[in-house]
Amino acid sequence: MSTTEVTSKKLKGKDLITIGIFSAIYFAVNFIFMMAAALHPIMWILMPGFIALFTGVPYMILASKVKKAGAVLIMGLISGLIYYATGMFTVVILITFASACLLAEVIRLATKYKSFTGNSISFAVFSVGMIGSPLPMWLFKDSFFKQISEQTGQGGIVSGNYLSILSNLATDGMLIVLILAPIVLGGIGALIARALFKKHFVKAGIV
Amino acid sequence: MVRKSKYENTVLDPRAALMLLFLVTVVVFAQQSLYLELALVAALISLFLYSGLFKNGLILFLGFGFLLALQYYIFPNAPQVFAHFFAILTTYARKVFPCIMVGMLIVKTIPMRYLILAMRKWRFPQKLIIPLSVTLCYFPVIREEIGHIRDAMKLRKVKGIAKAEAIFVPLIFSAANTAEELGAAAVTRGIENPAPKTSVIELRFRLQDYICLVVSLIFVWAAFWLRRGAV
Repeated sequence: MSTTEVTSKKLKGKDLITIGIFSAIYFAVNFIFMMAAALHPIMWILMPGFIALFTGVPYMILASKVKKAGAVLIMGLISGLIYYATGMFTVVILITFASACLLAEVIRLATKYKSFTGNSISFAVFSVGMIGSPLPMWLFKDSFFKQISEQTGQGGIVSGNYLSILSNLATDGMLIVLILAPIVLGGIGALIARALFKKHFVKAGIV
Repeated sequence: MVRKSKYENTVLDPRAALMLLFLVTVVVFAQQSLYLELALVAALISLFLYSGLFKNGLILFLGFGFLLALQYYIFPNAPQVFAHFFAILTTYARKVFPCIMVGMLIVKTIPMRYLILAMRKWRFPQKLIIPLSVTLCYFPVIREEIGHIRDAMKLRKVKGIAKAEAIFVPLIFSAANTAEELGAAAVTRGIENPAPKTSVIELRFRLQDYICLVVSLIFVWAAFWLRRGAV
C-alpha cells in the first residue's frame, strides 16, 4: 500500500470496489435471515440480532480496509437500494436503517476509524438499523395486524396461527429483546471478527 | 441473451427498465385486488415473451401458478403445521413476485454497462455507481465461490461451527483478493480519472419504452383507484 493512499481522506477507486464487494457479502447474509424471518415470528423478531452476529466479519473487515468517511454509509445505501428494488423495504425500516448508518459513520469519525472498540460500537449501532423491519408491530399495532390479516386473507387462507403468535409476541418485553439483541449479538459478532482477524486475516496480510 | 452487437440497443432502454421497476414496486405496495395482480403478472410475462425470453416466461408463469395453487388449494387442505410454516413466506413471495420478475428481466436482458450508463445519465454520484455495480456483479461470484469451497470440503469431515468458519473465511479471503486485483485493474483503466466519462453506447427511448411506461402508469393509477373504491 502506498503512502498516498493511506493519507488520502477521500474514497478512491479501490476503496469503492472494496466497499462494493463487502456490501455484496453483507447483503447476502442479511438476505438469508430476511428469508428465514418469514418461517416463524420469533425468527423475525430475532432477525436483527442474527444478522448482527453473522455480518460482524464483513463489516469489521470493511471498516479496517477502508478507514475513510462514507464506507458504511455507501454499504447501507446499496443494501437499501437493492431491498427497495425487490419490494422489501418499508418506510419505517428506511428511517431506522438510514439513521443507524449515519450514526455509525459519526462514531467511526469520532474514534478516528482505527480503534477496534470504536468500530465495534459503530457496528452494533449499524446493526440496530434492521429493527425497523418488525418495528411496525409496536408502532402501529392495530392497523398493522389489520393490514396483515387483510393481505393474507386476500390469499384465500387464514394463517391465523402466525398472526396469533405474532400478536402475542408484540409485548413490551419483546420490544426490549428486539432492540437489545442486535447490540449484544453485534458485540459478540465483533468479537468473533476479532478472533478470526487474529487467527487468519492478520497473518495473511488482508487487514 | 439479447446481446447481439456492441452497438445494438437492448430491448428496453435501461432507464425505462429502472423506471418500470420503480413503478411496479409502487403498484405492488398499493394494490389490493387479485385481478389487478393477475393482470400485472400477465403484462410482465408478455414483456418477457416480447424480449424473447420464452423459457423464463414459462418458468415464471408456472412459478406464479404454483404460489396461487399453494395458497388457494394446498394450504387449506394441508396439515396445519405445513401451512403455518410456509403461509407467510408464500404470501410474501407472491406479493413481491412482480418486482422479482422485473429484476430478472433487467438481469437477463440488460448488460451491466447499460445500467451504469443509465445511472450516469441520471447524475447518480460516481461514488455510488461504482460500488453498486460491483455489488451486483459480485452476487453470482459469491455463489460460485461457496460451490468451490464446498467441493474442496467434501474430502474432509468438517461439521458445525468449524464448517461455518471453513466456508466464511475462504470467502472473505477471496473477496479481499478480488477487491485488491479489481481495484488495481480499475485504476489502470482510469477509474479515478475525474473527466466526464464517454461511452460508445447511445441510449434512446423507443416506442416500446414509452408503451411500457404508459402501461405501468395505468397500473399505478388503477391500483390507487381500486383501493379508494375498497376503502
